[in-house]
Amino acid sequence: MDDSSVAERLVDAVESLSTDHKRGTRPIHTIGVGVDGYFQPSEAARSYCKAEHFQRPCVRASVRFSNGSGSPVQHDGWSDVRGMATRFHLSDGSATDLIAMTLPEFFVPTVDQFFEFARTAKPKPVRRESPWQKILDMLQLKIPRRNPPPGQKESPDAGAKSFADRHRFAQLAVVQTDTIGAPVSYARAAYHAVHTFIVTAPDGVRRPVRFSWQPVAGVCNTKATATAVDNYLRQELEERLGRWPARFMLMMTIGEAGDALDDPTQPWPAKRVRVVMGTLTLKNVAADQVAAAERISFNPCRLVPGIEVSEDPILRARRNVYEVSCQRRNGIPCPFNGS
Amino acid sequence: MPSDKDWFDRFVIGLPERRLFKFLAARILVPFWAWWTPVKPLPGGPHPSAQPGDNLQCMMNLIMPLKDKSAVGRAKAAGAIAANKDQIYAGLNNVGTVHFARFVIVGDNICMFSVYDGDFTNYIRDFIATIGSVFNAVVELVEGGEDVIPCEHNAEAFIEWVHARDLYQVPDTATGVLRDQEALKGDKAASGDDDLDLLPRRLTLQLHANPNVSLGSGYRAYPGYSAAQIRKQLGIGW
Ligand code: HEM
Repeated sequence: MDDSSVAERLVDAVESLSTDHKRGTRPIHTIGVGVDGYFQPSEAARSYCKAEHFQRPCVRASVRFSNGSGSPVQHDGWSDVRGMATRFHLSDGSATDLIAMTLPEFFVPTVDQFFEFARTAKPKPVRRESPWQKILDMLQLKIPRRNPPPGQKESPDAGAKSFADRHRFAQLAVVQTDTIGAPVSYARAAYHAVHTFIVTAPDGVRRPVRFSWQPVAGVCNTKATATAVDNYLRQELEERLGRWPARFMLMMTIGEAGDALDDPTQPWPAKRVRVVMGTLTLKNVAADQVAAAERISFNPCRLVPGIEVSEDPILRARRNVYEVSCQRRNGIPCPFNGS
Repeated sequence: MPSDKDWFDRFVIGLPERRLFKFLAARILVPFWAWWTPVKPLPGGPHPSAQPGDNLQCMMNLIMPLKDKSAVGRAKAAGAIAANKDQIYAGLNNVGTVHFARFVIVGDNICMFSVYDGDFTNYIRDFIATIGSVFNAVVELVEGGEDVIPCEHNAEAFIEWVHARDLYQVPDTATGVLRDQEALKGDKAASGDDDLDLLPRRLTLQLHANPNVSLGSGYRAYPGYSAAQIRKQLGIGW
């Protein structure tokens, strides 16, 4: 099967993860908000990566924050993965993207396993655990299932859990998703680009790395027991940025031979060297949200000289997946730099 | 309007915070499950790894019960450390692999927490050679310590004794404890017939078997560098 038909099938699989997917919108991370800002690399960044945005004093950046769900109905307060897709605009009019999410690890290491995961994690009607079942859980020293938020009719959680019961590689991401909660602000969550990339330094040294955004305002979730509010994240960001810019630090962790370089389900040990690569400053919520949040399309493989994809098969597959998805929803396709 | 069913549900959700339930959990449920599904205590110290970066900034967390569980016993321990300050610095400066070492008295335990580079056995061996007398002064005050001192003459037994008191380091990730338990049983399978809902019980029973643990592998502002590299970079020599 060629890569493009695999990509088509992967987008179908992603679409199947929500039963109310609306044509013309993203099949996942559907609700989002576009923000304008700029990125300034650190002193240290210059000696680790020769890519333009780590060499010039400042580049313009466009960011799209999103809720992970593929549903067109907004539920900011539900426990869900959040996305932060960043475009660095370069001097020749080209660009490079960094797509990150609040989940530090992914569910599967290969494309075939993703198909199985998507089949198993198809949304099923949510079943509220009866009080008696909860007591039974407690007696077995299990944590009773949280009651679904009002209005939630179906969820992929039960399927994802049964997948994780059979596949140990998925367990970390499934447990983390289960407890991920909702941030009080898009500017108060840490976002991870998950995969390994290879960066090349000006002196030619190549290093396997993973990127994460750390919010300068700190990480803070809403109280898990509070009633979920459906619509607050965009307004919060507007108010926040109206007062003062929000900042994120870009951290780059350097992997070692023997680390899981091609497997996005595996964390790296906490002892790996971390380099501060720069600061992203968010100025304002973009005026034209159709362009900045809907039609824009990001691609994790839109890279520039100095950054390459690793052998990670999920990362490699995502190149065509995001192109296909962009075409299906009539997004603005962005040419790959130099390809 | 909230129904009786909702009231009961809310009551059940609040149960784990109620004194009676906490009592039952601690006195009956945990001992029952520990007996029904026994769990072996996981070994202490850093996780074995062949990767060079994992050999940097390793943690040792020793909890040693004092023989004399009174203020006098605690004062003796404090005195033994204070009296050996010069020896400790001499050892630290000569060995060169230690980022920091702290002695703490908690309850009736003298604790030693340190962060060192390299292999655990070599770390202790180096210190036996340089500050064996300090170890002797401290270990003498600790339950079971008399069997392994003077440490210079019982190096292997002493290293084993220290290792046995080094805390289990609960992994940084939520599911790491499951992987450690599988590894202890020799189960290396990528996939199994697991029940992820049992994770809280697994963790609880491990903490039942292993009441004192270190949480995570430690949070570091400058991971990945040895004490020697830092001193060299700062130009403060060795
Ligand atoms: C097999 C694996 C994956 C598939 C098939 C997949 C698929 C998709 C698709 C189809 C979209 C919509 C793209 C568009 O229409 O513009 C999307 C968006 C997104 N994905 Fe993935 N994805 C995968 C893995 C990941 C991973 C590992 C991350 C973590 C960084 C991630 C983060 C995101 C984010 C943040 C968005 C929203 C981007 C935006 O704001 O435009 N995805 N994904």
